[in-house]
Amino acid sequence: MEFKAHIKIEELINEVAATGKTKKLWYEFLAAILSPDNKDKKQPEQLKETLSLLLAETGEEALTEKIKVLAENHPDLPITDLLFTIIKICGEIRKEHEQTITNLRRMLPELATPIIRIWTDMLLVALIGNLDSQWAQSIAERLLDRVSATRTKVVLVDVTGVPMIDTAVGGFLIEMFNAIRFLGAEVILTGIKPEVAHTLVKLGVDFRMVTIARDLEDALRKGIAIIADEKKKRRQLARVITGSRESEDDGELEI
Amino acid sequence: MFDIAKVYESPADDFDVFIRITREEDIAVARQMAKQLAQEAGFSLADVTKIATAVSELARNIYRYAGQGKIMLKKKTEEKEGPYLEIIASDQGPGIADIDLVMTKGYTTYERSLGIGLTGVKRLMDSFAIYSEVGKGTVVIAGKKGRKF
Repeated sequence: MEFKAHIKIEELINEVAATGKTKKLWYEFLAAILSPDNKDKKQPEQLKETLSLLLAETGEEALTEKIKVLAENHPDLPITDLLFTIIKICGEIRKEHEQTITNLRRMLPELATPIIRIWTDMLLVALIGNLDSQWAQSIAERLLDRVSATRTKVVLVDVTGVPMIDTAVGGFLIEMFNAIRFLGAEVILTGIKPEVAHTLVKLGVDFRMVTIARDLEDALRKGIAIIADEKKKRRQLARVITGSRESEDDGELEI
Repeated sequence: MFDIAKVYESPADDFDVFIRITREEDIAVARQMAKQLAQEAGFSLADVTKIATAVSELARNIYRYAGQGKIMLKKKTEEKEGPYLEIIASDQGPGIADIDLVMTKGYTTYERSLGIGLTGVKRLMDSFAIYSEVGKGTVVIAGKKGRKF
């Protein structure tokens, strides 16, 4: 296909009304598709590069519009050859985006779930976002590790930031709660929103194996009560063992 | 006879939301889009959550048991009647041999499941129908009416 490249490129650029930065890119792009050694193996690579830059600069819609104008005005322009390259570029861009999303997704569990020691022997986990099974698993693992590694007696689980609990998420939470209890800690659940409560009842998801608190304040109070109770029992036991007659309010006796 | 294949081939233009479920991430997308559509249609917050949860359950079922399929949503907003939303979940998976059995609370073939998803969806929604044929696939059609005030 013969096309008088040298004369026309400037004209074509005027037709697409490119200015400034994009003008240079259009020039490279047009030069690439108009160059006679189009079938050369090196060419598609170069074309791909210019085209992706152009795409990034102008956006798909504007680029499509402009290529359409060129194709209409110049039927002899080898636009169809571009199709292959464009599909390839779009595929690559999509792949790149998917990769980014996957990477971000992997970062989310770390960001969304700090495990905070909020009181003596008490941990707070604030779950945020949709607990999709993939990373819900990593939350549970980290929490269980932490509970078993420390002297945690009570775990406060706050689900204020969880917009929806379906049976998969509910099942995950139930499993996690049971596992925590197997490690000898109590779970206090808080932050269930009214609309979520409604849904849970309809679904038949039952969290009654754990203590439920109306808000974080209530949860903290309940947790402290459990720990105080534990301490009291420990002290009584210490007295029995040592046979001491000291009063209950005496200093801490840890055994 | 209900035509499962025909529902699966429904054109996307007939619906407000049309999502292909092929990956686990698509479940979250379906749920999010259902939520948005229900909000636009004028459902109450409780109903929006119920609809999103039902879509989440159905999408997860598709992903788990059929591998892939479609979630289609259509809204109707008539001022007198209040909002109405229809969910169609369609797949060409293995199908269900005994529908009564899967509609039993606690029944599941999936290892880590509570087995209350489908019955849960039925209770979350106002209308519920399931059609399935072994080897052809499954269609669930569920509708939710908004309360009028």
